Amino acid sequence: MNEVMERLVPRFDEPGDWDDVLRRAGGRRVRPALLAALVVALAAVAVAPTLAGLLRHGGVGLPDEADRTNVGVVLAPVNRKVILEVAPWRGHTGFCYAVLHARAGCVPRKRSGAVITKPALFGWTFDDRVRSGEATTFGGKRVPLTVRHFGGRTDVTVFLARSRIPFPGLLRRVVLRDAAGKVVLRVRTR
Amino acid sequence: MLDELEALYRVRLNEFRRVAAAIAGDRELGCDAVQEAFASAVRKRRTFRGSGALEAWVWRIVVNAARDARRRRPTPPEPPSASTNGHAPTLPLDLLTERQREIIFLHYYADLDYAAIAEALAISPGTVGATLTAARKTLRLAYEEVRA
Repeated sequence: MNEVMERLVPRFDEPGDWDDVLRRAGGRRVRPALLAALVVALAAVAVAPTLAGLLRHGGVGLPDEADRTNVGVVLAPVNRKVILEVAPWRGHTGFCYAVLHARAGCVPRKRSGAVITKPALFGWTFDDRVRSGEATTFGGKRVPLTVRHFGGRTDVTVFLARSRIPFPGLLRRVVLRDAAGKVVLRVRTR
Repeated sequence: MLDELEALYRVRLNEFRRVAAAIAGDRELGCDAVQEAFASAVRKRRTFRGSGALEAWVWRIVVNAARDARRRRPTPPEPPSASTNGHAPTLPLDLLTERQREIIFLHYYADLDYAAIAEALAISPGTVGATLTAARKTLRLAYEEVRA
Protein backbone atom coordinates (compact mmCIF):
# COMPACT_ATOMS: atom_id res chain seq x y z
CA MET A 1 0.00 0.00 0.00
CA ASN A 2 2.88 2.36 0.72
CA GLU A 3 4.11 1.96 -2.82
CA VAL A 4 0.69 2.76 -4.24
CA MET A 5 0.32 5.78 -1.99
CA GLU A 6 3.71 7.05 -3.11
CA ARG A 7 2.56 6.96 -6.71
CA LEU A 8 -0.84 8.46 -5.93
CA VAL A 9 0.57 11.84 -4.94
CA PRO A 10 4.28 12.06 -5.78
CA ARG A 11 6.52 14.19 -3.61
CA PHE A 12 6.81 17.90 -4.33
CA ASP A 13 10.17 19.20 -5.41
CA GLU A 14 9.25 22.88 -5.63
CA PRO A 15 10.48 25.01 -2.73
CA GLY A 16 8.03 26.86 -0.57
CA ASP A 17 7.37 30.58 -0.62
CA TRP A 18 6.94 31.93 2.89
CA ASP A 19 6.82 35.52 1.69
CA ASP A 20 3.78 34.58 -0.37
CA VAL A 21 2.16 33.26 2.82
CA LEU A 22 2.82 36.58 4.55
CA ARG A 23 1.49 38.55 1.58
CA ARG A 24 -1.69 36.50 1.62
CA ALA A 25 -1.95 37.02 5.36
CA GLY A 26 -2.07 40.71 4.64
CA GLY A 27 0.77 41.70 6.91
CA ARG A 28 4.44 42.24 6.60
CA ARG A 29 6.86 40.60 8.89
CA VAL A 30 8.46 42.86 11.42
CA ARG A 31 12.18 42.61 10.81
CA PRO A 32 14.50 42.27 13.82
CA ALA A 33 16.16 45.64 13.21
CA LEU A 34 12.79 47.33 13.06
CA LEU A 35 11.72 45.49 16.18
CA ALA A 36 14.83 46.64 18.03
CA ALA A 37 14.20 50.24 16.99
CA LEU A 38 10.61 49.91 18.18
CA VAL A 39 11.71 48.56 21.56
CA VAL A 40 14.16 51.44 22.00
CA ALA A 41 11.48 53.94 21.08
CA LEU A 42 8.98 52.43 23.51
CA ALA A 43 11.58 52.33 26.26
CA ALA A 44 12.33 56.00 25.67
CA VAL A 45 8.65 56.84 25.88
CA ALA A 46 8.31 54.85 29.11
CA VAL A 47 11.33 56.37 30.79
CA ALA A 48 10.82 59.93 29.61
CA PRO A 49 7.92 60.75 31.96
CA THR A 50 9.95 59.40 34.90
CA LEU A 51 12.92 61.57 34.10
CA ALA A 52 10.70 64.52 33.37
CA GLY A 53 8.97 64.06 36.71
CA LEU A 54 12.25 63.86 38.54
CA LEU A 55 13.62 66.92 36.84
CA ARG A 56 10.45 68.90 37.32
CA HIS A 57 9.83 68.04 40.94
CA GLY A 58 13.25 67.00 42.17
CA GLY A 59 11.79 63.79 43.61
CA VAL A 60 8.02 63.72 44.02
CA GLY A 61 6.87 62.88 47.50
CA LEU A 62 10.09 63.57 49.38
CA PRO A 63 9.57 65.73 52.46
CA ASP A 64 10.64 69.36 52.29
CA GLU A 65 13.51 68.58 54.67
CA ALA A 66 15.12 66.32 52.09
CA ASP A 67 18.19 67.54 50.29
CA ARG A 68 16.93 67.36 46.71
CA THR A 69 20.32 68.02 45.28
CA ASN A 70 21.31 64.47 46.16
CA VAL A 71 18.35 62.19 45.39
CA GLY A 72 18.79 58.47 44.84
CA VAL A 73 16.09 56.31 43.27
CA VAL A 74 15.12 52.68 42.83
CA LEU A 75 13.28 51.87 39.60
CA ALA A 76 10.78 49.07 39.07
CA PRO A 77 12.50 46.45 36.91
CA VAL A 78 9.65 46.12 34.44
CA ASN A 79 8.09 49.52 33.85
CA ARG A 80 11.04 51.56 35.14
CA LYS A 81 8.85 53.71 37.32
CA VAL A 82 10.37 55.27 40.41
CA ILE A 83 9.29 53.20 43.38
CA LEU A 84 11.62 54.65 45.98
CA GLU A 85 13.43 57.95 46.46
CA VAL A 86 15.96 58.69 49.16
CA ALA A 87 17.94 61.82 50.00
CA PRO A 88 20.02 63.19 52.88
CA TRP A 89 18.12 64.90 55.67
CA ARG A 90 19.12 68.54 55.68
CA GLY A 91 20.51 69.66 59.02
CA HIS A 92 20.39 66.18 60.51
CA THR A 93 22.26 62.89 60.49
CA GLY A 94 19.84 60.64 58.74
CA PHE A 95 17.89 60.44 55.53
CA CYS A 96 14.50 61.12 53.99
CA TYR A 97 12.51 58.76 51.80
CA ALA A 98 9.36 58.45 49.69
CA VAL A 99 8.24 54.95 48.75
CA LEU A 100 5.69 54.21 46.03
CA HIS A 101 4.35 57.73 46.47
CA ALA A 102 2.46 56.25 49.42
CA ARG A 103 4.69 56.84 52.40
CA ALA A 104 7.34 59.42 53.11
CA GLY A 105 9.37 60.64 56.04
CA CYS A 106 12.74 61.47 57.48
CA VAL A 107 14.52 59.27 60.01
CA PRO A 108 17.58 59.82 62.22
CA ARG A 109 20.56 57.56 61.93
CA LYS A 110 20.69 54.74 64.45
CA ARG A 111 23.62 52.63 65.40
CA SER A 112 22.06 49.22 64.77
CA GLY A 113 18.87 47.38 63.89
CA ALA A 114 16.43 47.80 61.04
CA VAL A 115 13.06 49.44 60.57
CA ILE A 116 10.22 48.03 58.49
CA THR A 117 7.15 49.81 57.22
CA LYS A 118 4.09 48.25 55.61
CA PRO A 119 2.44 48.67 53.32
CA ALA A 120 4.40 48.92 51.21
CA LEU A 121 6.96 46.52 52.53
CA PHE A 122 9.93 48.81 52.84
CA GLY A 123 12.65 49.16 55.40
CA TRP A 124 16.13 50.40 56.10
CA THR A 125 19.19 49.72 58.13
CA PHE A 126 22.38 51.61 58.72
CA ASP A 127 24.30 48.37 58.92
CA ASP A 128 26.41 48.53 55.80
CA ARG A 129 27.11 44.78 55.79
CA VAL A 130 23.63 44.00 54.45
CA ARG A 131 23.60 42.90 50.82
CA SER A 132 20.45 40.79 50.37
CA GLY A 133 17.16 40.10 52.10
CA GLU A 134 14.09 37.95 52.18
CA ALA A 135 10.65 38.34 53.72
CA THR A 136 8.55 35.42 54.94
CA THR A 137 4.78 35.45 55.41
CA PHE A 138 2.90 33.46 58.03
CA GLY A 139 1.83 31.15 55.23
CA GLY A 140 5.47 30.32 54.57
CA LYS A 141 5.73 32.22 51.32
CA ARG A 142 9.16 33.70 50.77
CA VAL A 143 9.44 37.03 49.04
CA PRO A 144 12.84 38.22 47.78
CA LEU A 145 13.73 41.77 48.64
CA THR A 146 15.52 44.37 46.60
CA VAL A 147 18.42 45.72 48.65
CA ARG A 148 20.23 48.94 47.76
CA HIS A 149 22.92 50.84 49.54
CA PHE A 150 23.09 54.58 49.07
CA GLY A 151 26.42 56.06 50.00
CA GLY A 152 27.56 59.62 50.50
CA ARG A 153 25.64 61.75 52.94
CA THR A 154 22.57 59.52 52.65
CA ASP A 155 24.54 56.47 53.80
CA VAL A 156 21.73 53.98 54.30
CA THR A 157 20.81 50.50 53.07
CA VAL A 158 17.18 50.15 52.07
CA PHE A 159 15.19 47.05 51.22
CA LEU A 160 11.76 46.57 49.67
CA ALA A 161 9.63 43.83 48.16
CA ARG A 162 10.15 43.30 44.43
CA SER A 163 6.77 41.69 44.11
CA ARG A 164 3.50 42.65 45.67
CA ILE A 165 2.61 40.93 48.93
CA PRO A 166 -1.13 40.20 48.90
CA PHE A 167 -1.62 40.73 52.62
CA PRO A 168 1.20 42.75 54.17
CA GLY A 169 -0.37 42.13 57.57
CA LEU A 170 0.62 38.50 57.25
CA LEU A 171 4.30 39.33 57.01
CA ARG A 172 6.14 37.24 59.59
CA ARG A 173 9.75 38.25 59.43
CA VAL A 174 12.50 39.77 57.35
CA VAL A 175 15.97 38.32 57.20
CA LEU A 176 18.88 40.42 55.98
CA ARG A 177 22.16 38.82 54.96
CA ASP A 178 25.68 39.90 54.17
CA ALA A 179 27.63 39.22 50.98
CA ALA A 180 28.52 35.73 52.17
CA GLY A 181 24.88 34.86 52.86
CA LYS A 182 25.28 35.02 56.61
CA VAL A 183 22.33 36.40 58.52
CA VAL A 184 23.08 39.91 59.75
CA LEU A 185 19.66 40.94 60.97
CA ARG A 186 16.46 39.05 61.66
CA VAL A 187 13.47 41.33 62.11
CA ARG A 188 10.15 40.02 63.36
CA THR A 189 7.04 41.95 62.52
CA ARG A 190 3.65 42.09 64.14
CA MET B 1 4.58 32.24 17.19
CA LEU B 2 5.25 33.56 13.70
CA ASP B 3 8.69 31.99 13.78
CA GLU B 4 7.22 28.66 14.85
CA LEU B 5 4.73 28.76 12.00
CA GLU B 6 7.48 29.55 9.53
CA ALA B 7 9.62 26.72 10.87
CA LEU B 8 6.70 24.32 10.58
CA TYR B 9 6.09 25.48 7.02
CA ARG B 10 9.69 24.95 5.99
CA VAL B 11 10.12 21.59 7.71
CA ARG B 12 6.81 19.95 6.81
CA LEU B 13 5.85 21.67 3.55
CA ASN B 14 6.09 18.51 1.43
CA GLU B 15 3.77 16.60 3.74
CA PHE B 16 1.28 19.47 3.91
CA ARG B 17 1.25 19.70 0.13
CA ARG B 18 0.81 15.98 -0.43
CA VAL B 19 -2.11 15.72 1.98
CA ALA B 20 -3.73 18.86 0.59
CA ALA B 21 -3.25 17.68 -2.99
CA ALA B 22 -4.73 14.28 -2.18
CA ILE B 23 -7.78 15.84 -0.52
CA ALA B 24 -8.26 18.53 -3.17
CA GLY B 25 -7.69 16.03 -5.96
CA ASP B 26 -5.22 18.30 -7.72
CA ARG B 27 -1.59 19.17 -7.09
CA GLU B 28 -1.90 22.86 -7.93
CA LEU B 29 -5.00 23.24 -5.82
CA GLY B 30 -3.26 21.44 -3.00
CA CYS B 31 -0.27 23.78 -3.11
CA ASP B 32 -2.55 26.81 -3.19
CA ALA B 33 -4.59 25.44 -0.29
CA VAL B 34 -1.45 25.09 1.81
CA GLN B 35 -0.45 28.69 1.09
CA GLU B 36 -3.92 29.89 1.99
CA ALA B 37 -4.00 27.74 5.10
CA PHE B 38 -0.74 29.11 6.42
CA ALA B 39 -1.83 32.65 5.62
CA SER B 40 -4.95 31.96 7.64
CA ALA B 41 -2.86 30.52 10.47
CA VAL B 42 -0.68 33.63 10.48
CA ARG B 43 -3.75 35.85 10.70
CA LYS B 44 -5.37 33.76 13.43
CA ARG B 45 -2.23 32.88 15.36
CA ARG B 46 -3.31 34.83 18.43
CA THR B 47 -6.39 32.65 18.74
CA PHE B 48 -4.23 29.55 19.15
CA ARG B 49 -4.74 28.67 22.79
CA GLY B 50 -1.78 26.40 23.13
CA SER B 51 -3.88 23.65 24.69
CA GLY B 52 -2.83 21.28 21.90
CA ALA B 53 0.06 20.99 19.48
CA LEU B 54 0.62 23.84 17.07
CA GLU B 55 1.14 21.37 14.23
CA ALA B 56 -2.21 19.71 14.82
CA TRP B 57 -3.86 23.13 14.83
CA VAL B 58 -2.26 23.92 11.49
CA TRP B 59 -3.18 20.53 10.08
CA ARG B 60 -6.80 21.24 10.82
CA ILE B 61 -6.59 24.52 8.92
CA VAL B 62 -4.82 22.85 6.01
CA VAL B 63 -7.39 20.05 5.80
CA ASN B 64 -10.23 22.58 5.80
CA ALA B 65 -8.52 24.65 3.11
CA ALA B 66 -8.05 21.54 0.96
CA ARG B 67 -11.69 20.59 1.41
CA ASP B 68 -12.71 24.10 0.35
CA ALA B 69 -10.44 23.89 -2.68
CA ARG B 70 -12.00 20.60 -3.66
CA ARG B 71 -15.51 22.04 -3.37
CA ARG B 72 -14.61 25.13 -5.39
CA ARG B 73 -13.58 23.10 -8.40
CA PRO B 74 -15.94 23.58 -11.37
CA THR B 75 -16.50 19.85 -11.71
CA PRO B 76 -15.98 17.76 -8.60
CA PRO B 77 -13.09 15.44 -9.25
CA GLU B 78 -13.29 11.73 -8.96
CA PRO B 79 -11.79 10.55 -5.70
CA PRO B 80 -8.15 9.87 -6.33
CA SER B 81 -7.26 6.34 -7.27
CA ALA B 82 -3.85 4.95 -7.94
CA SER B 83 -3.15 2.97 -11.04
CA THR B 84 -0.34 2.88 -13.52
CA ASN B 85 -0.09 0.79 -16.64
CA GLY B 86 -2.55 -1.85 -15.63
CA HIS B 87 0.06 -4.12 -14.14
CA ALA B 88 0.56 -2.23 -10.92
CA PRO B 89 -1.87 -2.56 -8.04
CA THR B 90 -4.87 -0.26 -7.94
CA LEU B 91 -6.08 1.58 -4.87
CA PRO B 92 -9.84 2.16 -5.19
CA LEU B 93 -10.08 5.15 -2.90
CA ASP B 94 -13.51 5.93 -4.32
CA LEU B 95 -14.80 3.09 -2.15
CA LEU B 96 -13.88 5.05 0.94
CA THR B 97 -15.76 7.81 2.69
CA GLU B 98 -14.31 11.30 2.79
CA ARG B 99 -13.26 10.86 6.41
CA GLN B 100 -11.60 7.52 5.66
CA ARG B 101 -9.65 9.06 2.81
CA GLU B 102 -8.51 12.00 4.92
CA ILE B 103 -7.32 9.71 7.69
CA ILE B 104 -5.47 7.54 5.18
CA PHE B 105 -3.77 10.61 3.69
CA LEU B 106 -2.79 12.04 7.07
CA HIS B 107 -1.48 8.69 8.20
CA TYR B 108 0.56 7.84 5.13
CA TYR B 109 1.68 11.20 3.80
CA ALA B 110 2.13 13.11 7.05
CA ASP B 111 3.02 10.13 9.23
CA LEU B 112 0.77 11.45 11.98
CA ASP B 113 -0.15 9.18 14.85
CA TYR B 114 -3.74 8.58 15.93
CA ALA B 115 -3.71 11.35 18.51
CA ALA B 116 -2.42 13.95 16.05
CA ILE B 117 -4.90 12.88 13.37
CA ALA B 118 -7.68 13.03 15.92
CA GLU B 119 -6.70 16.55 16.90
CA ALA B 120 -6.40 17.65 13.28
CA LEU B 121 -9.84 16.30 12.36
CA ALA B 122 -11.52 17.09 15.68
CA ILE B 123 -12.46 13.48 16.35
CA SER B 124 -11.41 10.98 18.98
CA PRO B 125 -8.29 8.80 18.66
CA GLY B 126 -10.53 5.75 18.95
CA THR B 127 -12.51 6.88 15.94
CA VAL B 128 -9.27 7.35 14.02
CA GLY B 129 -8.18 3.80 14.76
CA ALA B 130 -11.54 2.27 13.91
CA THR B 131 -11.86 4.31 10.73
CA LEU B 132 -8.36 3.45 9.59
CA THR B 133 -8.95 -0.25 10.22
CA ALA B 134 -12.20 -0.15 8.29
CA ALA B 135 -10.58 1.74 5.40
CA ARG B 136 -7.72 -0.75 5.17
CA LYS B 137 -10.14 -3.65 5.22
CA THR B 138 -12.18 -2.11 2.40
CA LEU B 139 -9.07 -1.51 0.32
CA ARG B 140 -7.68 -4.97 0.99
CA LEU B 141 -10.91 -6.68 -0.04
CA ALA B 142 -11.15 -4.58 -3.16
CA TYR B 143 -7.54 -5.30 -4.02
CA GLU B 144 -8.01 -9.04 -3.53
CA GLU B 145 -11.09 -8.96 -5.77
CA VAL B 146 -9.09 -7.27 -8.51
CA ARG B 147 -6.29 -9.83 -8.22
CA ALA B 148 -8.76 -12.69 -8.28
